[in-house]
Amino acid sequence: MSEVKKVACHFCHMNCGMLASVENGVITKVTGDPEHPFNQGAQCPRGVSALDHLNHPNRLNYPLKQVGKRGSGQFERVSWEEALDGIAARLTELKNTYGAETLSSLGGTNRTDDFARRRFFNLFGSPNIAHTAPVCWIPNFLIEAASYGWAAFDPEIMNSRCVVIWGHNPAVSYLPEMRGLLQAKANGTKIIVIDPVFSETAAKADLWLPIRPGADNALALAWLNVIIEEGLYDFEFVNEWTVGFEELSERIEEYTPEWAAEKTGISAELIREAAQIYAAAKPACIQWGVATDQFGRGSSAGAQARAALRVICGNLDVPGGDVMPGPHPDFITDWEMELNDLLSEEQRAKQLGADKFKLNTWPGYQILTDNMVRVWGKSIPAEWFCEANAPVLFRSMVSSKPYPVKACIVLANNPLISYANSKLVYQALKSLDLLVVMDYWMTPSALLADYVLPAASWLERPVMTTTYGVSDWLIASERAIEPMFERKTDVDFWREIGCRLGQAEYWPWKSDEEVFKYRLEPIGLDVETYEEFVQCYRMAFAPREYRKYQERGLATPSGKVELKSSILEKLGYDPLPHYVEPPFSSEAKPELADDYPLTLIAGGGFMPFFHSEHREITRIRLMKPYPRVAINPVLADKFGIKATDWVWIETPTGRIKQKALITNAVAPDVVQAERGWWFPEKALIDPELMGAFESNINVCLDDDPNTCDEACGSWCTRAVMCRISKAEGED
Amino acid sequence: MRWGMLIDLRKCVGCHACTIACQNENNLPLALRYCKIFKVGPEGEYPNLTSYNIPIACMHCAEAPCVDGCPSGASHRRLDGIVAINSDKCVGCQFCMLVCPYGVRHMNKKTGAVEKCTLCFSRLEQGEVTRCVETCQLKARNVGDLDDPNSEIVRLVRKDNAQPLYAHLGTKPSIYYIMP
Repeated sequence: MSEVKKVACHFCHMNCGMLASVENGVITKVTGDPEHPFNQGAQCPRGVSALDHLNHPNRLNYPLKQVGKRGSGQFERVSWEEALDGIAARLTELKNTYGAETLSSLGGTNRTDDFARRRFFNLFGSPNIAHTAPVCWIPNFLIEAASYGWAAFDPEIMNSRCVVIWGHNPAVSYLPEMRGLLQAKANGTKIIVIDPVFSETAAKADLWLPIRPGADNALALAWLNVIIEEGLYDFEFVNEWTVGFEELSERIEEYTPEWAAEKTGISAELIREAAQIYAAAKPACIQWGVATDQFGRGSSAGAQARAALRVICGNLDVPGGDVMPGPHPDFITDWEMELNDLLSEEQRAKQLGADKFKLNTWPGYQILTDNMVRVWGKSIPAEWFCEANAPVLFRSMVSSKPYPVKACIVLANNPLISYANSKLVYQALKSLDLLVVMDYWMTPSALLADYVLPAASWLERPVMTTTYGVSDWLIASERAIEPMFERKTDVDFWREIGCRLGQAEYWPWKSDEEVFKYRLEPIGLDVETYEEFVQCYRMAFAPREYRKYQERGLATPSGKVELKSSILEKLGYDPLPHYVEPPFSSEAKPELADDYPLTLIAGGGFMPFFHSEHREITRIRLMKPYPRVAINPVLADKFGIKATDWVWIETPTGRIKQKALITNAVAPDVVQAERGWWFPEKALIDPELMGAFESNINVCLDDDPNTCDEACGSWCTRAVMCRISKAEGED
Repeated sequence: MRWGMLIDLRKCVGCHACTIACQNENNLPLALRYCKIFKVGPEGEYPNLTSYNIPIACMHCAEAPCVDGCPSGASHRRLDGIVAINSDKCVGCQFCMLVCPYGVRHMNKKTGAVEKCTLCFSRLEQGEVTRCVETCQLKARNVGDLDDPNSEIVRLVRKDNAQPLYAHLGTKPSIYYIMP
């Protein structure tokens, strides 16, 4: 029997639509779905390797239990029954000894149905879930939410006259978005790229602003200064729909283009000209870029400035501007699935980091939720937006302060590679009494686990795309085949472990499809099954409406856009945009500048990998077989470094080596290291851990909570002082 | 009828999806790539830079030196303009690799025959586009009939003054590029 299944790629969270040809239960071909709005039939290098991923000999196929010393690599195959019973028994024991908050969870980027993770945790009684969320979108989203009640994260590039790509390189990370950008450019839209690196996207821009790493906040403040001083803002919108404009105007007086020129390395004339282009183009939009979440201290302050730019230029929720979707009106959202009400006040108060980082933890989340429910009827999910702070969590694992964190369930994440301060993460994971990892592969982090569980990938599970639960559209995709071997979906895992811990009444669904069918029901379509919805409809886009604030008001305490945010003020933060120097720059720590004269950029995606993934797939790996650090030819000459030489990169926190990529794309005093590197081909034993500490740039990054973003706890991966040297001989 | 391709270098970002999709489509060994992407630049000094990517595969020349130079008749030009290799006839002398000015022919050590981009002629015959055109997220590629004045590809070639690579060599390639 031969059939075509409508599936969704999950090698990044774009979730491009794919068609899988299935013959007698075996997938023979995976191609892009021409009817899918994102990829329109296309695939990236990862997508075209779907079958290599599905059938890879290194995939985890059965549950494993560590039988030797942790990290010894001595695993024994066990049944799911045995694994789940064992985990449930240990969790019960630990909860009785230390309290529910002793259980934590770590996640990476969206690869899972995390309403299930949160549902389990709320029922179990622990507030301690963490993702890499603070360095990916969440600060920007929450600052926008505090200012205007949701994030305006859906820029209508095709109808825009000017698009600002700020700290973002869609040409390697979001190819469908890049296609739209180039189409818009061909239609006359001006593309401004702000990036210290001459990126693939910068190469296609009308205007590239080569900014000094970490100076983005200064640039945004100077744009505000130019636009307000020169009267280029939207008077009508500012008068009718905002509060705090006067205070904003006073605040930004000091942030002149001349002041910013010194910080950004961009001339005052160019800063002025770029601001004028942006302000004069109506409508215009500012695309979110992940770099702006990764400055550590000051990440939120920068987001405040960009939010204000959108607002005063009149681009908020207008056609061709920064459109603010709001929640899907009918579909049962992640937030509704999470059962946050079942987590007691007492347990919420124990959330790690909530006393320090208040915007993306319970104190701020509760205020945001109250406002959102008033206006939208629904809030954003607690997953991603209301989490324990990972740097604080790791420290609690090591020190048992303020209380012992003894267990962690890691799902869709390789924390040794993807969180800053890898050596501390290592210590933290080794301090646990119970570590469970569910993944596609044996990873360095999984090697340290007591139980390693095999995860089903996107061809083996249905995928529902709702952009972290905050979009007003959904795209539904089915599974092509049942999970191979004994792989399971994360929803299955949480349900089965939950049922063993007395949560059975809250898990009435037998499969992912049953859950999704339940969530779709309020849309009111006449379908018998989830698969029928996928085959007949697949998508549900809420009707696009603009300027929704005119009818609803805005989901802020004043009902207007708050240029001076009362929510931030209430939480004890500066309610207005302001300048903060990134924590590891030469300006912040001048005493180290002589020893560490270079500036490290430790982020940035690159094809064909996604975060720490896909190093196992040979065709993909051969495109970029080893980690590369970008070095300007002038700098390389100074150190006698030639192309592909191994180079040590060193900060006060640690050192690693990568191979030299000699390129003019970076300035002579800046190096950009690739992130996410480990080597699946290396020794599967502690402490080598598949080369987890050899080329992984997170070894060099500090995550000291005092250097993290004040409101959201983001750690710093940009503008970090460093030095390099050529690695000699066996070094 | 003359099949040809247009590649818009203003759009290509060098993601290598076409390279890998082509390898999968043709079931190629790991080291064998019919389609390669070269990154040009960044040229200049920071921050005054330019850069682009250029995909290179068989140019399907109308005056193909590889066809003229093939002693066994394995390399031939089909009636639809595609330069193809009959692997049964190939003796592996590699003379074609020597005379091809584009360096796009590869020895398959497993089969002992020379191989290269087929312009997916079996897909074209079934009314499908080539695999590289299908997979391109940036829609940088277009395949069509260069002899049909009403075809999309001819329209686009004219509109943006697309040119073959090294046209001065006189091999009359069927692959056109829009320069960035």
